[in-house]
Amino acid sequence: MSVKIEVGAGGIPHNQILIYGLVGSVILIYLTYLNTYMQAPYFAFFGGLAAVVALIWGTDTIKHLCSYGLGTGVPSAGMIALGSGVIAALFGATTGIFAPIVTVIIAAIIGAVAGLMANAVVRMDIPVMVVSLIELAIVGAITVLGLAAMACGTFEFLGMITGQISILGFTITSYETSLIGGSIIAVIFMLGAIAIQHSFNACLGPGEQQDRTLMLAAECGFLSMIVVAIMSFAFIDRYAAIITLVISIIGWLYTYAKYIELSKRDAYAWLDAQPILEPKGGA
Amino acid sequence: MSALGGPKQAGGIQPPTTMGLVLGIVLIIIALILAFFLVQMAGLIALIGIIIGGVLIGFGVHFVPVGGAPAAMGQAPGIATGVAMLAAGAGLAGLFGGAWAAPLGFAVALAGGAIGGGLLMAITCTMVNVIYVFGMGIPAASGKVDKDPITGDSFPEYKSQGTEGHGLPFISWVGGVIGGALGGLGGTLIYLELLDVYQAQLPVILNATVEQIAPIAISLAGIFAVAMFLINAVLAAYNITGTIEGPHDPKFKRFPRAIIAAAVASAVAGIFAIGLLELVGVF
Amino acid sequence: MEEIIFGIGITALAGALATVAGAAEDVESDIGSQGDPNSQVQLAPQMGYIHRIFNKAIAGEPPAYGLWVALGAGLAWAFMAMQINPILAIVLGSALAVFVQGVYATTAYLGRTASLAKFGQPVYIDILKSMTTVTMAHAFVAIFATVAMCHLIISALGHPFPLPLLGLVWGIALGAAGSATGNPFYGKERQYQEQKFGAGVPISASGNIVRYAEAGQRNSLDNGFFSAKLGGPASGICFGLIVFFELWRTVVFEEFNIWGPIIVGVFVILVFAIIDRYIEVWARKNFGPYTAPEEASS
Repeated sequence: MSVKIEVGAGGIPHNQILIYGLVGSVILIYLTYLNTYMQAPYFAFFGGLAAVVALIWGTDTIKHLCSYGLGTGVPSAGMIALGSGVIAALFGATTGIFAPIVTVIIAAIIGAVAGLMANAVVRMDIPVMVVSLIELAIVGAITVLGLAAMACGTFEFLGMITGQISILGFTITSYETSLIGGSIIAVIFMLGAIAIQHSFNACLGPGEQQDRTLMLAAECGFLSMIVVAIMSFAFIDRYAAIITLVISIIGWLYTYAKYIELSKRDAYAWLDAQPILEPKGGA
Repeated sequence: MSALGGPKQAGGIQPPTTMGLVLGIVLIIIALILAFFLVQMAGLIALIGIIIGGVLIGFGVHFVPVGGAPAAMGQAPGIATGVAMLAAGAGLAGLFGGAWAAPLGFAVALAGGAIGGGLLMAITCTMVNVIYVFGMGIPAASGKVDKDPITGDSFPEYKSQGTEGHGLPFISWVGGVIGGALGGLGGTLIYLELLDVYQAQLPVILNATVEQIAPIAISLAGIFAVAMFLINAVLAAYNITGTIEGPHDPKFKRFPRAIIAAAVASAVAGIFAIGLLELVGVF
Repeated sequence: MEEIIFGIGITALAGALATVAGAAEDVESDIGSQGDPNSQVQLAPQMGYIHRIFNKAIAGEPPAYGLWVALGAGLAWAFMAMQINPILAIVLGSALAVFVQGVYATTAYLGRTASLAKFGQPVYIDILKSMTTVTMAHAFVAIFATVAMCHLIISALGHPFPLPLLGLVWGIALGAAGSATGNPFYGKERQYQEQKFGAGVPISASGNIVRYAEAGQRNSLDNGFFSAKLGGPASGICFGLIVFFELWRTVVFEEFNIWGPIIVGVFVILVFAIIDRYIEVWARKNFGPYTAPEEASS
């Protein structure tokens, strides 16, 4: 009774997306380092853009992995990706300027171990399993690191655990009102875990088209950026947070409109308040 | 959750490959050595605790009776949801209780975590049967065995035509509670071990009191416990290809594979979680 | 003693909030056909049954609710950090989380339906217009109640987790309880209303979901009304009991002995074992063995 996962063929080859995704997201995360140079968090939004790029790549990876049939839902792949990713991202963050690179390496190690265990011990015997879980762990880690950098303006661990609280006009440093102390990292974890799997899960079917699925991935990324931007008001300068919020809203509106357009293109028919169209010959 | 067909694993259980086993043992040993060098004896004990916790989670998932999509139509026995997610629900409810009882001592916290997970599953499984019996008029019947190993009830004559069984027989109920308790125990164990490590290291690094760093230590330990829980639960879900009826299901015999996979994955993920604070301030 | 009485009051309030949250969660997911019954909504067009039912394939309910509640809690935490009153902060946080839920719902319907073009399933845009708002309203109730409950657990009972992490934990538990209890009722009794009562849906009938209502064509709002009769309240009781017993055993019995909550927990589990066994035996006695094989009516 189970439905076979069918995916559309064609589109941009996966390896190309992989390279653009990896290089692009690491560069974008590094651009948030401009904050440290300028002494102001106006470039925090680059972290969110890195997450968007990574999510587009991760969606294509999930599509490749899940076309083999995992035996359980697509969301599980997102969970294992972000579970590995959040550990790698927080470990990487402790290495200062090297954070994005270290994060990618650590995520690759955890993903490789999970993939090897899934293939060699659990005997899933899926050819792309190891590579896919490595990619997914890296995507998860970059998503966490990018959104965290966007929320608090830096990808360094000490920046994530210290926050300011103002009581009666005095500003004091507090660990409780920080990104990690307040567990906002848990929200970022879930945002990534749903965003990474949603696009493929929502578009799967025989009529799946790569451009539509990837557009949805970008939409999910920008949507996650919007809420992280709102939460970043608690951590960074008000004007910097407004910049982030405006950029994410513009990106979201564009991708959402584009996605609806693409759905209209692919749909059998686009009807408003019409009765059920019985197929020819009856059901 | 969704309508995805799993790979058909006909015939006997495929044993783990030799390469996988050797690699797993090597990885665990490397992780243990690293833990000893990074955080001395405390690190070694913490990592062993994390590995045991991961194994308990991986083992516990096999007890949880999950029917997936067919269960929602009364076509297959079990609870109608995803196995990794149901186990996560129970395990995290256990983590809630365990974390609450953490100041009262190690043994109380562990027992609290186990009971928390078991309680969630006990109530959920009972309500599932309430819906099946009083909402849908369907008695419980297993599809995999003819007699309930605990109560001795016979099933074939209660199974409706064209289905693989339905509802939750008593053996599945017991399995669910055991699974929830093991999940809660494992999750709490990982949390407590990590909390110990962070509470010992953070005050030194940040030059602060234990009370001041408590939010960071709790958040880090909590999010890592959630992350490792999900990695192990998903690996176990892959092992049983999505659905299982409980401890009487033939698929239950696959559990050694999941235990090895969970131990290795927890060791590798755990070493990064334990070593997290070693690099702070180095770069 | 006074502390215990205060704690019991908070426990009762948290349990009540959880009950409301569980009921709203199940009705919400059934209106959107989220979770496992989704497979049938997805399958029907492939079998030639074109329908007008919302296909909100976001993820399983546990991860989806893990996100909504964690997000609501995270936003509420951030607003509280900006010195906004907690009640207002929770309302604002839940409202923004519901916005995210609504956007995810629309993209899921458009994506799944557009990918079914081969089978002639059109996108009914009025479904999005009329039903997204209804699921969002139910989701708001569920998220607000759960976040408020988490806030109570932290501020009044002193749980050490920060609000977003607690939101994640209880959000996943909410989704697990709601999907486990509510899904079969919607999946079997509503989608396959035409099949025999008291028997599982034969596998041969898969995909033949009911598509016509008492008047006109069935849409998901009819399913919400149906779920609200039993599936929703049962899910609510399930989640309410979980939260209540989890808090109650700690709040009341920790004072007497640190092992008190654990002993009481074991006792409660045993009570539920007896209830479950009673229900099972009752069903076996009353529904009788199916001696003659039944015909699958599809």
